[in-house]
Amino acid sequence: MSSTGDGDAQSVLDRLPERLVDATVLERLGIAVASTTAAILVGLVIVAASGYSPLLFLNNLIVGAFGSERVLARTLRLSTFFVLTGVAVAIAFRAGVFNIGVQGQFIVGGLSCTMSILWTAPFLPGGTVGGVALMLIGTISAAVGGGLYAAIPGVLKAYADANEIITTIMLNFIAIGAVSWLITNPFGREGTTVVQTESLPENVRLPPLVFGDANFSVIGLGLTLALVVAVAAVMTRTSFGYDMVTSGYQASAAVYSGVDAKRTIVATMTFSGAVAGLASALYVIMFQGRFVEPASIHTYGYDAIAVSLLAANNPLGVIPAGLLFGGLNSSSSYIQIYSDVPVQLIDGIVGLVILLVAAPELFRMAAKRAGVGGEDR
Amino acid sequence: MSVVDDVRSRRFGTAGLVAVAAVVVAAIATVAFGVPLARIVTPGYVARSIQLAAPITLAAVGGLYAEKSGVFNIGLEGFMIFGAFFAAAGTYFVGVDGAVGAWAGIAISVVLTTVLTVLFAVLLIRYKANQIVAGLGVWFVGLGLAPFTASIIWGSRNSPRMPGVGRLTIPGLSEIPYLGRIVFDQSPLVWLTAIIVLASWAVLYRTKYGYWIQAAGENPEALDTAGIDVNRVRYAAVIFSGAMAGLGGAVLLAHSSSFIGTGQTMVDNRGWLGIVAYLFGNYNPLGAAAAALLFGGVDMLQGQLQTINIDVSPKLLGLLPYVVVIVVLTGWGKTRVPSSVGEPYESEE
Repeated sequence: MSSTGDGDAQSVLDRLPERLVDATVLERLGIAVASTTAAILVGLVIVAASGYSPLLFLNNLIVGAFGSERVLARTLRLSTFFVLTGVAVAIAFRAGVFNIGVQGQFIVGGLSCTMSILWTAPFLPGGTVGGVALMLIGTISAAVGGGLYAAIPGVLKAYADANEIITTIMLNFIAIGAVSWLITNPFGREGTTVVQTESLPENVRLPPLVFGDANFSVIGLGLTLALVVAVAAVMTRTSFGYDMVTSGYQASAAVYSGVDAKRTIVATMTFSGAVAGLASALYVIMFQGRFVEPASIHTYGYDAIAVSLLAANNPLGVIPAGLLFGGLNSSSSYIQIYSDVPVQLIDGIVGLVILLVAAPELFRMAAKRAGVGGEDR
Repeated sequence: MSVVDDVRSRRFGTAGLVAVAAVVVAAIATVAFGVPLARIVTPGYVARSIQLAAPITLAAVGGLYAEKSGVFNIGLEGFMIFGAFFAAAGTYFVGVDGAVGAWAGIAISVVLTTVLTVLFAVLLIRYKANQIVAGLGVWFVGLGLAPFTASIIWGSRNSPRMPGVGRLTIPGLSEIPYLGRIVFDQSPLVWLTAIIVLASWAVLYRTKYGYWIQAAGENPEALDTAGIDVNRVRYAAVIFSGAMAGLGGAVLLAHSSSFIGTGQTMVDNRGWLGIVAYLFGNYNPLGAAAAALLFGGVDMLQGQLQTINIDVSPKLLGLLPYVVVIVVLTGWGKTRVPSSVGEPYESEE
């Protein structure tokens, strides 16, 4: 802390996430449910004000998420992406680092996954053995790519005091532009105007098993859940995780107990970005089978912020929160096809959820006024 | 007052350095690589760059007021989207053609965006919302609801063609070579922006209100002790920031032809550049305007390079401002953030 002014200001920003997790589990659950319900209610009012039927819209929301085996597979597929990106955000927020750059890390991770598979495929045998090897290579490359891309803002924050909120957002824009240029020019597919890479080889795919949907595999879901549990274990059961979480809650205590604050920031960002990369590996291998124009990819990395906050930045809590977002986005595809309501409303509702989750005090005061209590919690 | 003096002595620091660097790079390009600079930096190019810089400048001036007062308004991008949309919808429903319709749209837009900002300010100040998360929320609400409402009104996320405000041509002066086209044959909104920049600089550094705003961010306890309501000062600053971002969006619309609601919408990250512009200008309105001008110039550069047959991918050139931002934050990252930013203030009674 050479210059006191900078140090103070930095620690103010560092303390911000802390206030969000400063609540009991039950209270957080109440706030999450209340925010989501309030946001959907506002959405229904907007639907009614626009001259559509709110009941039909609500019905479409539910049917579009869980109404048939086909949409359920879609909901689960989308949920895996939200859960994994949500966990990536949760890791960083827990450690008091504002990684807003999960979208960029997802994009860079996905491209490294795709290109590493395409480049090594000619040297490996076909069939299942080669396929599994390629998927492993792709998954590792994705984690490395996402991790390294996240390490950049980590290093800049730790050693140059550059605000990670701004740098990660800028790196998101850079990832979109640069990857888009890469797959238009050197890495693009020959003989097509569509911005995309070559398709992955036939043997690189996860078998669908339970659901008859080629874009969703129960194996992918299982790997997602396993990764969530692994991250939760790292955060709570290892000294690395302990150092990270302590840095987030009480930076000065962490430093006092011998934690290297700068290295922890870089390690946290790298870990967070690696998980974002893994999310993208699943996105590429299970779903797309190639890499596509990054600007057209859904904003998983940004929605993941809401997912993580709904879960109070708890990796296990991210599972239900991710399922909620998977459901909302699945309905969004349904509504686009079967209803006249412009689908951008769903994005607006997601924004309202984020806005409301940011203000837990709103619900505390409302609960107090309604006599539900809350003082004794 | 040592804090204030410290900030003021560095007021043009970063922006000035970059301006010098830009001139040096341009000189090297001309001398060493034979780039015909005169064909790039035409009066039309400079005039257009200034027009593109105006919305970024307005958002930046608003944002720095909020942050000076201790509230980080990271929702500028969202408020700009609302501003552009409200201006288009306002002009559309007023239904008057020509500049009058455009001005009516701008006025309606500022009023409506201000109303939204009041709600946002209540959430931040009264309900102590997390400023960063709530700001991101505003961005998403804007990205969703503006195109949604556009679809309801026009049946498409893009609006039909809207009237502009035209140019303010001053007879005689506009005939001056080079400068005439840039200054005296310019959009009236550029003039408005320039006036707002100068006025906000004067208010911030030359009036007691300006000192209140700075104190609300630097030392709220002292301000409270002096009998000034800290949260009232913060409300005023945050509401001003939203109004300016809304005006920025409206200016953006007036300088183009129609509202575009696809993708990142027509605002296309200019709100984020606004935040960076004021960090870059070290919270000084003049420095922020200089930084915004740099972004406007880079934005226009691509078309200009194509006219002299230098083929640069627009995708890659478009990334230049973002790279500049990271380099600047890293190299001169020690922007002195007001010490109480992000902290809700509760009076001790």
